[in-house]
Amino acid sequence: MPALEVTELAKRYGRVHALRGVSFGVEPGEVFGYLGPNGAGKTTTLRILLGLVRADRGTARLLDLPPGRPLSRERVGFLPGELRLHGDMTGRALLDHFARFRPSRPPVLRERLLAALDLKASDLARRVKWLSHGTKQKVGLVVALQHDPDVVLLDEPTTGLDPLVQQGFRDLVRELAARGRAILLSSHVLSEVEAVCGRVAVLRAGELLAVEGIGALRARLVRRLEVRFRGSAPADLAALPGVTRAEVAGAAATLWLKGDVNPLLRKLATCDVEHLVFPEPQLEDVFLDLYRGRGGEA
Amino acid sequence: MRNLLRRLLARHAAFVLASGLLLGGFQWLISAVVASTDVTGALDTLVQSLPPMMQTMVSEQLFGGFSKTSLLAFGWSHPIAQALGAAVAIVLATQAVAGESEAGTLELTLGQPLSRGCYLAAQVVFALAAIAFVTLSGLAGSVGGGRVYGLAPFPLSALARLGLDYLAMQAALFGVTLMFSAFGREGGRVALLGFLCALVSYLVQVIGTMWEAWKPLVPYTLHAYYVPREILVEGAGVARPLATLLAVALAGLLAAWARFRRRDLP
Repeated sequence: MPALEVTELAKRYGRVHALRGVSFGVEPGEVFGYLGPNGAGKTTTLRILLGLVRADRGTARLLDLPPGRPLSRERVGFLPGELRLHGDMTGRALLDHFARFRPSRPPVLRERLLAALDLKASDLARRVKWLSHGTKQKVGLVVALQHDPDVVLLDEPTTGLDPLVQQGFRDLVRELAARGRAILLSSHVLSEVEAVCGRVAVLRAGELLAVEGIGALRARLVRRLEVRFRGSAPADLAALPGVTRAEVAGAAATLWLKGDVNPLLRKLATCDVEHLVFPEPQLEDVFLDLYRGRGGEA
Repeated sequence: MRNLLRRLLARHAAFVLASGLLLGGFQWLISAVVASTDVTGALDTLVQSLPPMMQTMVSEQLFGGFSKTSLLAFGWSHPIAQALGAAVAIVLATQAVAGESEAGTLELTLGQPLSRGCYLAAQVVFALAAIAFVTLSGLAGSVGGGRVYGLAPFPLSALARLGLDYLAMQAALFGVTLMFSAFGREGGRVALLGFLCALVSYLVQVIGTMWEAWKPLVPYTLHAYYVPREILVEGAGVARPLATLLAVALAGLLAAWARFRRRDLP
């Protein structure tokens, strides 16, 4: 039985279709990526699961309970995308305040989380309104996870976190999943989803474009590679396996790659390369491929 | 609910305490002024200078004659006394839903194992307790000031009725504003609507008392059922005013609940 499940979920805000028949499920022990640009409907889905927003059509189940039941949220940890905390409380008082909502689930993970996220006692002694954006985000993560929830709903969780803390957060997520927790990680950052998720749902304009394993998503990616050679660029780059497009101007070449990168790397190993950049893949690259597959326009 | 009440107390304690102390201090001051100066003589002289029709209106309708008792009663219908209670009612109702929604904290709070009914009930319980505290502070100011300055004490039953009427008046304002709050997303707008309701009700009641053409409108104002002079000077009962004000409060709360339980948040 999935830890959470949505079926044919639809929601409109006036004329805007926030969701159009979205269906997926997340199993215990799974980190499920919910990928889409801002405004795609990710936050609306999470709010429906928590009973904050009512769906026009379709069903949502959280731990086999309908949304809106306080009991269903007892075993859930939630981090909102636009995190706003009670600024007049200290960090410590805020953590205690949210812990008291679940008397039967004490904050057993708090100390572990504080260490992993590098939250110091001095940070927690200050009023939340005086904390930096990144520190507030860390406090929000502790609020969401301190009671060791069975289901975790995270909306853009790494916003404002520095790379080192992001790494610590990813380790935490993997650890929670290894202990059987179901994690729904909503994000518009492809690399973040790629790093920790086993399966991914790709959403755009309220429409689910695909639900697939991370391997299949990687295979869809058209990655861009920028190379500068000492001397002129080889003429046969476009003919290499996996290279879908090549733009060559003198010593510089921009290549678009899909699938296996090894043939290209072997070729480059034989050349005198001065500089090489592999920019982070963009979400739009995934959409392009998915839309092509559907015969649509990106 | 206890957790929410604790949070509300921590957040609003200073504001509620200040409102209570101000109301108590104001009533104390009224006692001091009434006892230490010949206010009635001064006002009599002032009223003599007005046209005859105005003299009648002001002296009979607003003060019920210039006795010391009526002036003490006037302390409770004075705009400052009304504004302090209204401020507590309007601010707490505004913050309950629209304020929290605008601040962005409602989403995280209702993402916890907490029903919307429990959330709203905690807001109502806290607001009623806060209004009761402010009312009791005001009454303490009246009683304490009266004793210190040697004024004839009001009967305990009259003070109890006055307190209930004041509390019911603010509860009605809270209920109406909470209804706006349950529909709204912006605290500023909701507070403005609540303030306008209180202001229009007050002005229509005052003008209707002096001007015959507006008299039919008076029963439709909340302030028509807040009657400190009738209670303290004439010894009137408060069953009807209380019933009316509490009915308005209840209607506001029910409308607020009907909206809040179904609305999309935040």
